[in-house]
Amino acid sequence: MLGRGVKRKWSCLEELEVETLPAAAAEKEKNEVEEEEQKDEDGLLASPSKSDMSHLQQRQRVLGLCLEKLQRYQAGVELSLRRSVLLINTLRQIQEDMQSDGVGTCAPEVLLNGVHSDSCILREDMPVTCPGCAEGDGGNLSPPLSPESSSQEATSSPDQQKSLPAATINAFSDAVNAMGYLSDLALDDIFEDIDTSMYETSDLPSAWASSSLWPVSVSLWADEDVKMRPPGHASAGGLQSCLMDLNELDHIMEILVKS
Amino acid sequence: MGRGENMGYLTQPGGRQKKQQFHLDVDVEPLFIRFLRTFKEILKFVLFSYTVLFGALLLARWTTYFMNPSVLGQQVQRNTLTVLRDPGGTSRFLRSDPPEPSRVSTAPVRGLIRPSEPLIMAGTGDGSSDVQWCFSQVKGAIDDEVAEADVISTVEFNHSGELLATGDKGGRVVIFQQEPESKNQPQCRGEYNVYSTFQSHEPEFDYLKSLEIEEKINKIRWLPQKNAAQFLLSTNDKTIKLWKISERDKRPEGYNLKEEDGRYRDFNTVTTLRVPVFMPMDLMVEASPRRVFANAHTYHINSISVNSDCETYLSADDLRINLWNLEINDRSFNIVDIKPANMEELTEVITAAEFHPNQCNTFVYSSSKGTIRLCDMRAAALCDQHTKLFEEPEDPNNRSFFSEIISSISDVKFSHSGRYMMTRDYLSVKVWDLNMETRPVETYQVHDYLRSKLCSLYENDCIFDKFECCWNGNDSVVMTGSYNNFFRMFDRGYRQDVTLEASRENSKPRSVLKPRKVSTGGKRKKDEISVDCLDFNKKILHTAWHPLDNIIAVATTNNLYIFQEKLN
Repeated sequence: MLGRGVKRKWSCLEELEVETLPAAAAEKEKNEVEEEEQKDEDGLLASPSKSDMSHLQQRQRVLGLCLEKLQRYQAGVELSLRRSVLLINTLRQIQEDMQSDGVGTCAPEVLLNGVHSDSCILREDMPVTCPGCAEGDGGNLSPPLSPESSSQEATSSPDQQKSLPAATINAFSDAVNAMGYLSDLALDDIFEDIDTSMYETSDLPSAWASSSLWPVSVSLWADEDVKMRPPGHASAGGLQSCLMDLNELDHIMEILVKS
Repeated sequence: MGRGENMGYLTQPGGRQKKQQFHLDVDVEPLFIRFLRTFKEILKFVLFSYTVLFGALLLARWTTYFMNPSVLGQQVQRNTLTVLRDPGGTSRFLRSDPPEPSRVSTAPVRGLIRPSEPLIMAGTGDGSSDVQWCFSQVKGAIDDEVAEADVISTVEFNHSGELLATGDKGGRVVIFQQEPESKNQPQCRGEYNVYSTFQSHEPEFDYLKSLEIEEKINKIRWLPQKNAAQFLLSTNDKTIKLWKISERDKRPEGYNLKEEDGRYRDFNTVTTLRVPVFMPMDLMVEASPRRVFANAHTYHINSISVNSDCETYLSADDLRINLWNLEINDRSFNIVDIKPANMEELTEVITAAEFHPNQCNTFVYSSSKGTIRLCDMRAAALCDQHTKLFEEPEDPNNRSFFSEIISSISDVKFSHSGRYMMTRDYLSVKVWDLNMETRPVETYQVHDYLRSKLCSLYENDCIFDKFECCWNGNDSVVMTGSYNNFFRMFDRGYRQDVTLEASRENSKPRSVLKPRKVSTGGKRKKDEISVDCLDFNKKILHTAWHPLDNIIAVATTNNLYIFQEKLN
């Protein structure tokens, strides 16, 4: 994840959405949206499976937008507390929806696509069409693409459906916790200087886990309580070592700051 | 005994000596003279008793007059009083002319609250709305390029309606004053002209958090007038200021030691002494900050509200509400705190708060989850436990990912009577009776055609817009803004609504505003505008209604429109 101030390419997001949402237009014009929603409504009338798809599409879209808004941080632009709370609540609602859906009949590829779309959003250096997104069914995914996919592979196929929701939930909880109205700005600044350069390697999972959290939590809430939170833990074994180091560093910094 | 003898005794009972004299005189006088004397005495007695009676009556009359000083006054105000207290009455009030006869066939459907007299203006075209609005004035720059600092962020009439204050993003407050009605145009209410402009707040920088504190004026609230000066509270995100606006139209002239321009005279040149006198000068309006209430809010202040006791006021930010005394600026009481111990558990923020207009112990605050809590300050020092919770159960049919966002209340306003309160969420306006917590008594859909567009409105952040709402003077009509420079009015009594537009095209003097309509279905009628053509960058967030008259102030992005009721 690149640091602050680097623009994210809009085209990446659009083309990804084209891949992942076959029925929907990628443009954000209101007319397009209206048409899409009309199609969705037709779909609703026609068959229940289509309505599921449109619901899922909308959910993915909202999820993507939600994460994008939460991450949108430019110098001087701060999210008001009300807006942040509303976005987080929406995110939680989607999370619960996915949770309840994930154990149901929902095809895992949609979840994967959802996961891919948001991890694609978060990462600047993703190729335009990630092979994982091109996959239609919940088959094998190329390993280095996302933590979720690697975790999925690690936990292997029989529990695929159950592990996926778990992974996505972890991803969400990471994001939610990151939004944690917690960190003091000064501390984050210190950490930004220290951490991100070291961990911005090809080791994408840790990059995603760590750096995606830092820029977001900066200066969103002016809170007098100082609370340090280590970045979220991904359940994949491969990430553990990187994150353990990170946690130790956090712990050390916490002690230093508090003293 | 002769007649004369008896008469003597009767007329002069005390005088024995006189009786003898009189006895002689009476015998000599003719009967007529005797009769006249008697009559004179009787008349004296009558005159005396009438004088006593008249005096007693006068005394009684004066006594009652002084005991009921408003006896005379009540006679004059009877018309206005009844109309003001009639909740279902029309918006015509403060009228001395008698109500006009109603038109029969086009009478509109009456709501639950029936007005006492159907007052429909003669000459109204279709009889569907009682009041026709016409353009009066527009303030602000004409060009389309909007300077960021000129964006109007709050509009407020004072308690008499004579003054209209606006605050903008640049931290300035502009006050307009209504001109007195001219004799030339008795039908037209006075125009609003600039009375005072001052810089209320400056941008600040919080060095500890490396954050800029915007100077944008979030709210202005007037204090009730107590003397010649006017007072208002203005607030930005962090600091509240009390401003005194006073007029000066005289200045002292003729000092002995100072020249007119202020330079000191050499006292060797002073040969005579004179007394300085006050001479009239051009009217000068001064605004001076009397109090600065700072450093009490960690989060951004969204509301201030002056108490009916005129001594205290509250300020609310996202998580806390503080109670201030207007005289004391270095201390405030915290009366509501919804900050959780663990910030991760935060799911709800305070969005608006207001004091009850009559009860100085009651206030309400609204939340981002669509609930309103009424608190009584007598119950506890910290009013975290609400006295009443107003919440409408969610409609399961309308549930979507955006349900919570659109249920977030952006404004709450008490009615002038204090019986009702109105809340504005993204798509609707709800009127609540303070005695019923389970659901609102009235719900008005402002722009329900946007319900299917919520996803794209979420995308362009329009779904987070905070619209305000306002009551008219007699609580019969509510008004709120929408997109495309539209604003909506809902008549509670007649159950009618109208959509009007504030635009430069309708800006001919006294041109009547034409009602607008947004077409939702496929078929678009003439003069209707389709949902896709709405300009979501032109939004009316702030509106205000004159407390006594049918004059409204509507703020578009950088212009202030003033509309008046059409008078014949």
